[in-house]
Amino acid sequence: MQSPEQASSPSVAHLAGVGTALPGDPVDNAMLARTLGVNEEWIDVFIGTRTRHFARDLVSGEVRWSLADLCARAGEQALTASGLAPDEIDFVVMGTATPDHLMPATVNHVADQLGLDQIPTYQLQSGCAGAVQALELGRTLVTGGGHRAGLVIGGDVCSKHLDLDRDLSGAAPSDLVNYVLFGDGAGAAVVTSEARGERLALRGVLNRFTGLGREPGQVIDWFGLADRYDDRQAVREDYKAIEESVPVMAVEILWELLEDLDWSPEQVDFLLPPQLSGRMTRRITEQLDLPDAVEVSCVADTGNNGNALPFLQLEGLLEKIGPGQRALAVAVESSKWIKSGFALEKI
Amino acid sequence: MHTIDDFVRLVRDELGMPLEEHQVSVDLDQLPEWDSLYLLKLVTALEQATGRSLPVGKLLEARSLGEIHRLAAEA
Repeated sequence: MQSPEQASSPSVAHLAGVGTALPGDPVDNAMLARTLGVNEEWIDVFIGTRTRHFARDLVSGEVRWSLADLCARAGEQALTASGLAPDEIDFVVMGTATPDHLMPATVNHVADQLGLDQIPTYQLQSGCAGAVQALELGRTLVTGGGHRAGLVIGGDVCSKHLDLDRDLSGAAPSDLVNYVLFGDGAGAAVVTSEARGERLALRGVLNRFTGLGREPGQVIDWFGLADRYDDRQAVREDYKAIEESVPVMAVEILWELLEDLDWSPEQVDFLLPPQLSGRMTRRITEQLDLPDAVEVSCVADTGNNGNALPFLQLEGLLEKIGPGQRALAVAVESSKWIKSGFALEKI
Repeated sequence: MHTIDDFVRLVRDELGMPLEEHQVSVDLDQLPEWDSLYLLKLVTALEQATGRSLPVGKLLEARSLGEIHRLAAEA
């Protein structure tokens, strides 16, 4: 346990409130399998994800929510949960791999929807490590950047690539798998310099590029007027490389965080493991081997919605964590192999 | 899709995997070209070829292509 002086030390950032937004009703495997013409049991067993949410209507193809809509909803919830007033927010940081536009950055539309103005905004182009990178930047801004509170957001709308008119019978497995892995959603947290609201102290953050010389495990392409008809796969997964590397990297991240914090495995009350798919997350959690820690996962119900995932896990964590308890989160971005994670303690 | 020859041909055609017949009994981990995602393509192709739905849970536990062929033939 930290003393009150340590807990309120200006070098420690805190999470004061968390909010999330998932678009529409959950889409189950029966409906997804019917829509895509793939085997339902394969999704059940191999992917292990039961439901996901899509911003795009699966029947009509109509876009019902933009990424900005979802992020603003999550941000508003986080603000309400934190007890802070909107005019206390000094900055907004957002991470996403699927912005609504390349310009303006979606974070500015989110600020606009939230009624925020005359503050710095930052958007990080990022995959599964994006929420951690946003937290890290938010922490830096409230501990050394002269700010007292800010909004940190992560979200993705993967259904941009859910082309329902496409014949998938000839699609490569590395293409097809994206249709069953991903979902849409957003999450947000209010980061503060002092312990307020939920009073979660951010004890450590790990964010490191480790992909020197390595081929990416995941690529999301983008197209402009000159190459929009090129026959390139929009989303590619090297699933084999991901299956091999992510569990190993997750264990390395866990131990590095523990050593940096000088925590023993027994001192971790809650584990927020990487959220790739229901099945992969189960495998990784077994390998992380923290038998005393309660697992907080969401991917089996939410699908892999990228930058939103750690916030959805945080929301689950807040229902369980009590004063003095500790949590560790591990995330791996397989695009260019980024290690990330963070450690929390409720004070 | 009754014989192992038909099966090997189907794997080569559908997955584009240069499979030799002696490799059907090899553990999947020992097949450098094998990717666990291929099972979806294989299940879809086998279901089309046999006209039956296959027990995917059991197929996922199979450790060799020969075992997958046997399970598909039994289904």
